[in-house]
Amino acid sequence: MSDGLGNILLDLFPLMWSGMITGCLYALGALGLVMIFKSSQVVNFSHGNVAGFAAFLIYGFSSGVLLNLSWGVAVLLAMIAVVAIAFLIYAVISPLVFESELTATISTLGFGLIAQGATLLIFGADIVNLDLPIPRFSMSFLGLFITGYDLTVLAVAVVTIGTLFFVVDYTKLGIAFRAISENPFAAEVCGLNLRSIHLFSWIVAAILGVVGALLIVPTTFLSVTTVAAFMLQAFAAAVIGGFASLPGSLVGGILIGILMNLFTFYVSAEFTSTFLLVLILLALNVFPNGILARAGGSRV
Amino acid sequence: MSKSSASIETMPGSASGNHARGWLAASGADYLLAAVLFALPFLIGGSWTFALGICFANSIGVLAVSVLVRYGGEVSIGHSFFAAVGAYAVAILDTRYGLSLVASLPLALVLGTVCGVAFAWPSRKLSGIYLAVSTMALALAVPELINNADWLTGGYEGLYVSQSVIPGVEASLQRYYAGLLALIAVVYGLRRLRHSRQGLTLLLAKQHPAAADAFGTRQVWARIAVMGISGGIGGVCGAILAFAGSTVSPSSFTFWTSIFLLVGSVVSFYGLSLTRALVGGAFLTLVPQFLSASGAWIPVLYGLALLGMILIGHYLPRIRSFLFASKGGA
Repeated sequence: MSDGLGNILLDLFPLMWSGMITGCLYALGALGLVMIFKSSQVVNFSHGNVAGFAAFLIYGFSSGVLLNLSWGVAVLLAMIAVVAIAFLIYAVISPLVFESELTATISTLGFGLIAQGATLLIFGADIVNLDLPIPRFSMSFLGLFITGYDLTVLAVAVVTIGTLFFVVDYTKLGIAFRAISENPFAAEVCGLNLRSIHLFSWIVAAILGVVGALLIVPTTFLSVTTVAAFMLQAFAAAVIGGFASLPGSLVGGILIGILMNLFTFYVSAEFTSTFLLVLILLALNVFPNGILARAGGSRV
Repeated sequence: MSKSSASIETMPGSASGNHARGWLAASGADYLLAAVLFALPFLIGGSWTFALGICFANSIGVLAVSVLVRYGGEVSIGHSFFAAVGAYAVAILDTRYGLSLVASLPLALVLGTVCGVAFAWPSRKLSGIYLAVSTMALALAVPELINNADWLTGGYEGLYVSQSVIPGVEASLQRYYAGLLALIAVVYGLRRLRHSRQGLTLLLAKQHPAAADAFGTRQVWARIAVMGISGGIGGVCGAILAFAGSTVSPSSFTFWTSIFLLVGSVVSFYGLSLTRALVGGAFLTLVPQFLSASGAWIPVLYGLALLGMILIGHYLPRIRSFLFASKGGA
């Protein structure tokens, strides 16, 4: 009996660890979605496809398909491209944003389709490999098998998310961002430019998406659908966090990572999307405002 | 969210002030189109007859999405689920029990409706983007569910639909006319709904929730009813898709299918008339036919069409009012 329990714990610990690592990446994706939603009330369905396109650009720039640059320069170029794309998308949909969030949301689907088509046109439907230049390293710690990849992901996630939270909490830009997500009308009356804050969130989201895509690709391979599929978990993470809470989406991402890992291992690897559907519906009904929302009722 | 649902309604067509005359003109065009379509198989080749059969099925799917937008103010990117339910109802009755579309189409309708209601219940309090995200999750689960129920659905390979409705009549004609009749029936049903008590109640519940509440219409009921209707039409779409295409497989019911149906709905400006539905359906069916040589252009073109139509819907009233204003000034 105790032996069985020990075995379960022995499995559980590494499962939770690796779930947390992928969960950090889901959180990176979810944070981008939530940034955009918080500022402009638009759900960016093109997030995954644009990030996937960027991952392909990095592959293209560094492998000789398009250019033959070093990895770092390729990433930099792809980042610039993605910022330009985010700028373009926002420029097109900004008149819609102020009229109807739902219409703007539908139009992001259009950009997703275009990004996917562009990836297919330029790079084809082949599967490619895109590795990170990280040292091969692994160690065992308390029964955990920790690799250099794990530590890289953790470090990048902590730095990126830490920077983001610092910017949002302490800088003028972050205060403006929070003001707009609280009350756009009042923020505009106070002289804030809604469009520039929206643009800020779109650009930050695009960069977060590329970082997430870069880090997730080494675990599988790169195809037209990989990153888009990864972003679906990010959607679930954002929903669990309430779609309007940055810390919530971080917690949601890690939770989704761990739960998916446990579900795949203990229940079934074939019903993961169904499991996500159930999770999303449950989360929306049980925690309509996200898991970190305070219990209802007003203080007297 | 009420803001967003209201502005969807301000697409051209619904915004026409002269409602009665516009409606008569639209129905006149519908009758003409229906007459042409009835005669068409005798004038064109077999491959076009086949493509039009698929086109009718897609038009029904476009209607299913548009109904949800028009009567519920909600956007769905999960209608491949209802289509899959209808299609597999037809295919399974066909291969297992040898029953034709006559028996399986009503079943597809009922199953689609039941699934619509079953999905609407857990998501009854969601609206706007929250509902859109949960329909997305629904669409994503479909291929996986079909593949893993391979004892019933044939897994990756899918199933064939071979039973004919009227024995002795040429199969291609049957596929064509079954689709056409189903499409006309759906359009007719929706037109009746528009002027029925229930339809008006649903519209009231969408436009003025508080007023609807005062008249005793609960929001939850309205939502579930709309999803049921939309799901039922989605089921019919799947049934016709299976019959007209004579095969079903999981690859025809992916998340992209759902997005394409939404694209078709946007391209038809969420219209519920025969002409509008056919515009949406034809866009979904004929564009891939013309672009079959270069498949990668299809998503690009669909994306551009989606954006273009949305932007036209956004700017057209402005351009129109600008033109009229300048005319009045001169």
